[in-house]
Amino acid sequence: MPLRLPLLVVSISALFMLVQFFVKANFLDSAYQEVLDWVQIIYLFTLWVGALNLIKLHAKKTQDKRQAFYSLVTLAGILLMLIFGLSGGKATGSAFNWVFENVQVPLQATMFSLLAFFVASAAYRGFRARSGEAFILLAVASLVMLGRVPIGNLISERIPDLANWILNFPSMAARRGILIGIGLGTVATALRIILGIERTYLGK
Amino acid sequence: MELGTLTAAILTLFIFSFLYRDNPFYKFAEHLLVGVSVGYFLVISIDNVLLPKITEPLFQQKDWSVLLPLLAGALILTRLIPAWSRWSQISLALVIGVGAGVAIPATLQAQILIQMKATMFSIIPPEGSSALLYIFERVVILVGLTSVLAYFFFSKEHKGALGSYAKIGTYFLMIFFGATFGYTVMSRLSLLIGRVQFLLGDWLKFLN
Amino acid sequence: MRREVIYILIVAAITVPLFLPLGLKQRITPEVEKFYQTVEELPAGSSVIVSFDFEASTVAETKPIAYAVLRQLFSKNVSVISLSMLAEGTGLGYDFLTKITQEYNKKYGEDYVFLGFRPQYQATILGLGEDFSRVFPRDYLGNGLSSLQLTQKVKNYADVAMIISIADGDLPQYWVDYAQTRYQKKVLAAVTAVMATTYYPYLSSGQFSGLVGGLKGAAEYELLLGQPGLGSKGMEAQSLGHILIILLIIVGNLTLLAKRNK
Repeated sequence: MPLRLPLLVVSISALFMLVQFFVKANFLDSAYQEVLDWVQIIYLFTLWVGALNLIKLHAKKTQDKRQAFYSLVTLAGILLMLIFGLSGGKATGSAFNWVFENVQVPLQATMFSLLAFFVASAAYRGFRARSGEAFILLAVASLVMLGRVPIGNLISERIPDLANWILNFPSMAARRGILIGIGLGTVATALRIILGIERTYLGK
Repeated sequence: MELGTLTAAILTLFIFSFLYRDNPFYKFAEHLLVGVSVGYFLVISIDNVLLPKITEPLFQQKDWSVLLPLLAGALILTRLIPAWSRWSQISLALVIGVGAGVAIPATLQAQILIQMKATMFSIIPPEGSSALLYIFERVVILVGLTSVLAYFFFSKEHKGALGSYAKIGTYFLMIFFGATFGYTVMSRLSLLIGRVQFLLGDWLKFLN
Repeated sequence: MRREVIYILIVAAITVPLFLPLGLKQRITPEVEKFYQTVEELPAGSSVIVSFDFEASTVAETKPIAYAVLRQLFSKNVSVISLSMLAEGTGLGYDFLTKITQEYNKKYGEDYVFLGFRPQYQATILGLGEDFSRVFPRDYLGNGLSSLQLTQKVKNYADVAMIISIADGDLPQYWVDYAQTRYQKKVLAAVTAVMATTYYPYLSSGQFSGLVGGLKGAAEYELLLGQPGLGSKGMEAQSLGHILIILLIIVGNLTLLAKRNK
């Protein structure tokens, strides 16, 4: 397949969406909605590639004695959810919903709650004010942490006021600068994609 | 005690056992999470997306037009077969092209123009506000924004006036990162509070 | 200090206040006040979109926020059309809706509808602006949208008053980028604390009509509603946790200074 075909598809589809934003016409509107439908369906398949790849990987790992058990656990989890979900429905009280609420959600939530321990450990070992900039970072972080909890207000009413001011003015200004920078980068990259200069999305 | 709560509590403790060291209980819980999550996604995507958007229109309403996006989606699956993976480029190109096309006006408007407009201010303060504080705050925003943009301007070496102004941007960035870090710590602690409340409250019933 | 000692300290800092509440007072921040007032001004009978754009990993923060938002909406007899653009948010959003609607005796199909899951945020947000039933021919429970009373009259963005995104990532920004830019819809964001600082420019420019951030934001919201819940319960534990982190940073830096001076 020649390289030009995907590049042509990118340019035409991008230009169509751009033109459609500014031009009001019935035939453009219906084509626009059709394209949005297509994109949703295609995108779903891209997510499935990831899921199928994972199944393929773990199926391969079942050949390895050391990893077989854990890979079987993963594959069993996938199979169980497919059986429960496609045969028993998703409503509250179903087996599918039970596994979601009592296995998936607690596991996912606990996995991320481990970060609290690592943040505490890093606070002692890693957060060192070795420079003026680092000192500013840590000082502002401490002020915001105090200002955002009731204890800060108990120590002094100025602490939450100062934390609020920092969030709404200097911090917001810096974030706005980053946002505008990202916006300019996004537009530049989109133009590069439309013009065929940027081709990394095509892979090898 | 409910079986669901007990199951959730045991799996929670399996994950927490990682704090001591990596162990078979943690590995089991981790792999179970991966499997159940992927299975969950597959069910939701089949039941909530594939069936109403493709299967029903095709087989019940005899709407043959869905064959085209279905074919385009199937081309994406060729990524799983290295010899055929080039065919997925056409479908990917459509998704990327549409994304790029809609992103340009949206980003220009929402992230650039409106943000720039919000930074502009009248030097006449609104009634009832302190003129000095009003001007000072707006100048802080203007200086902060422009100095951060100067910091990220790499087409010229950061020397002289540009270098000094970019240095001011560094300090504003440190303030932003400090605030973000403070909020990140808050977020992480909240996640732990949630699990502790579950273990002590819902499972062991020690809390009201 | 060994890491096990730090782990025990953090668990103690969080657990003790759960048993011995200190009765500390909350302060309401202007951004949460603005969020609350914007929703409060909705007339009874109006409709809003609520998007559950979060994963299960942040349920400790998003659950109190979602509960508070839904309670205010249903107490004002505002109809809710909800969806999720993340798979886990779908199941959680449905669970949260089911729980809160029972408190207010709300009827599915008349007072609220849960559309379900759609990937690809650009196509979803833009598609909803034209026609809900085109993006979601059926809702999460398999009902055709034309068979539900609410979605017979609320068909696209023109029929909704605002969009509320409860999120743990970038999706509130995309609601602004696509729904507000093209369709001029009001957007409110209720996000996890880690994302809150990211969205202050949107609040300052008026692109967000309110911002609730993290468990603290949920606690403030509950105070405004007069219904203390999960958010309020966690704030004192949060207070002691923050104090401990600050002390660890200070002690860590003093240790470094002492080593340098040696």
